[in-house]
Amino acid sequence: MNRTLEHILPRVQKPARYTGGEYNAVVKDRRGVDVRYALCFPDTYEIGMSNLGMRILYGVMNEMEGVWCERVFAPWLDMEEEMRREGIPLYGLESGDAIADFDFIGFSLGYELAYTNVLNLLDLAGLPLRSEERYGLSPLVVAGGTCAYNPEPLAPFVDLFVLGEGEEVSQEVIHLYRKAREECWSKEEFLSAAADIPGIYVPSLYQASWREDGTLAAMTPLEGAPAVVTKRIVQDFDHSYFPVRTIVPSTEIVHDRVMLELFRGCIRGCRFCQAGYAYRPVRSRDPEILLRQGIESCRDSGYQEMTLSSLSTSDYRPLERLCDGLLEWCEPNKVSLSLPSLRADNFSLGLMERVQHVRKSGLTFAPEAGTQRLRDAINKNVTEEGLLRSCRTAFSGGWSSVKLYFMLGLPTETDEDVLGIADLAEKVYQAWKETTPNPKRGVTITVSTAWFVPKPHTAFQWEGQISMEEYLRRVKLLREHMKGRSIKYNWHDSQTSFLEAVFARGDRRVAQVIEQAWRQGAKFDAWSEGFDFDRWMAAFQTCGVDPAFYANRTRDKDEVFPWDVTSVGVSRQFLWRERERAYEAVITPDCRAGCSGCGANQLCPGGKCDA
Amino acid sequence: MHRVAFSKADTAKFISHLDLMRTFQRSFLRAGISIKHTEGFNPHAFVSIPLPLSVGFSSACEVLECQVLNLPLEEVPARLNAALPAGITVHRCYEGVRPVKELCYVNYIVTMEYEAGAPFGAESAIRDLLARECLVMEKHSKKAKSGKVEVDLIPLIHRATVEERRDTIALDLILRAQNPGLNPELVVEAIRTHCPDAAPDFVSFHRRAVLDENLQNWE
Repeated sequence: MNRTLEHILPRVQKPARYTGGEYNAVVKDRRGVDVRYALCFPDTYEIGMSNLGMRILYGVMNEMEGVWCERVFAPWLDMEEEMRREGIPLYGLESGDAIADFDFIGFSLGYELAYTNVLNLLDLAGLPLRSEERYGLSPLVVAGGTCAYNPEPLAPFVDLFVLGEGEEVSQEVIHLYRKAREECWSKEEFLSAAADIPGIYVPSLYQASWREDGTLAAMTPLEGAPAVVTKRIVQDFDHSYFPVRTIVPSTEIVHDRVMLELFRGCIRGCRFCQAGYAYRPVRSRDPEILLRQGIESCRDSGYQEMTLSSLSTSDYRPLERLCDGLLEWCEPNKVSLSLPSLRADNFSLGLMERVQHVRKSGLTFAPEAGTQRLRDAINKNVTEEGLLRSCRTAFSGGWSSVKLYFMLGLPTETDEDVLGIADLAEKVYQAWKETTPNPKRGVTITVSTAWFVPKPHTAFQWEGQISMEEYLRRVKLLREHMKGRSIKYNWHDSQTSFLEAVFARGDRRVAQVIEQAWRQGAKFDAWSEGFDFDRWMAAFQTCGVDPAFYANRTRDKDEVFPWDVTSVGVSRQFLWRERERAYEAVITPDCRAGCSGCGANQLCPGGKCDA
Repeated sequence: MHRVAFSKADTAKFISHLDLMRTFQRSFLRAGISIKHTEGFNPHAFVSIPLPLSVGFSSACEVLECQVLNLPLEEVPARLNAALPAGITVHRCYEGVRPVKELCYVNYIVTMEYEAGAPFGAESAIRDLLARECLVMEKHSKKAKSGKVEVDLIPLIHRATVEERRDTIALDLILRAQNPGLNPELVVEAIRTHCPDAAPDFVSFHRRAVLDENLQNWE
């Protein structure tokens, strides 16, 4: 270990985050490696190591001959201070080498409020922030993940974006890079060639122009770059890479367990949900393969907890069969199994009891809205009756704690809808009173509301976020109507949700605000220790950018969006149709009940999707 | 009761005591070694480490107690070493005979580094300090109301050798292990307090041996 590093580690919190050396961390011989890749997660180790996508890409790239992929996370504030003071540049956890000398620096973008951390990591690495100021072929700054579906707020900083699932396209980019290096291409030559790879968006090859009213006029592709870049998907999900042998951190992380990925995509079509649209089409993994992967992962890691991961676990057709198989192994081996993302409407007693058999955990439902009308408008096909039935089942099975998640500020929401949340919580409480076997123990019903953030590539991408004053009024209204000691009400902070709304649908002009805020000290905006709303408002003012233009404005049907250069496979016509149906409170059946023609099936061979 | 003797070095120095226990529990599973579990609703592996090591310290003489159920003990080290993270090395697994209460002393090597070389007179100042009749320091205490308690270090220091090299001063300390024990960090703090000119820029701590009453290795 580096001597200076050894000197500063005793002074920082949780130093095990900064050392590497965990079980299954990949250490290669530098002499046998010609491509060095820094896979960066712009948040703490505990959060980044909990991300399955990071583990998949780490595994995929390290399986490549001659490629060494290392992990980089955002050092916490105390560590950053020490690193800057001692002049330690950002390093890869596996080798301890400075990443400024690597060939690739790849960022996983999962949350808009991590954008300042992306800039901070580049700076800690000792690199210029802007793509145009990094002249050489390497290091190339790459970014992917859900936020890349609107790449524009980070366009000036990133050399190329990877849209969609990275398993295959990351390898293609590395192959092209090797060719470029061998033939001594310039960075521009490389980027121009990379733009021909499906799924690669090179922001410097697009010129943004604006109308007088501030809306985009066009995103003009240069040098033959494609007008629209369509995301990549893994076609054969059964045989795509899964990290059975994966790093086991030596210190506790957020999701410290085996994660099994059941399927990608979602059949539901909730109109607010970006993941629900962006990860289409549905592709499932065979239960026999999952069973094998689950058992092998537990054996290899020594984890005694396993969770099933997907956007909606109960929509996995062979779920019962899979659970039976897993439990048959888990029970004698004392491994507990948890099933997140169960829908409130088909929560089954049998499934619950079998899982409970190993260990009982809390129960969470997300009705999202308080009235049936609004739930229909957002296409969250959960009925009050279904939810209460599930709760009764749970309560009679001995559960005494339920979490209910809602959003405030959804399109078409009225005060009646807001108060419907309090009513629903009260009905859940009554359901507990009627069904609990042990009334003396009491019940905890936790109601949480988030502030709705309109996202690109959803039916609500045209919507304005309600104003902050209005959101806070609705929170207050709801708070005043929440009764009973058993019901606890939490609401999400308004300021971060407002910024999230700006960045989610921001264009290139927002980039300068992010840079300005970072220069004034913004980082870790997702953390109360780092976030400073006034600093952000000052940055908007300095740059002459009106945040409300991005967050609160309702867009015209045909407005050019910054993210129109990217496609997730779902057509804009379909999304507009879904928006109109929202305003009529008409539901759209899930993909299994009937295809609604979103267009994502075109990403599959023969246009056949496995909903 | 079985004992696993291991060392902790390099990156593993920064694994905390609780994380280390978890790491061992998982490593036993990875290695296919069954160990005795607690009974009850949520059974967990029954492992303990008698003298927890401070974060950042290296050690050549750590001991973990457990009960191996399915293997000859001599197979344990190789299997565990293949399953442990970098920096933790198991040397031996054996039937523990001597009770933990016979573990009386710990031998630490404390290396104090000076960027500009060891200051003139520092070595003798430290030697004099540790040769005092009594040396009272304040230390944190969870029990005391004020959160602090005063301790006299001298009775807890069995032997102290001070040796100066070019830019370091090494302390070879034999300290009481328990009831009460003495953390060598407190010795360094005493040096910083009473011999400010000898205050080091950086200190590293290494646990070299655990000893019984007669200063023989405790196993």
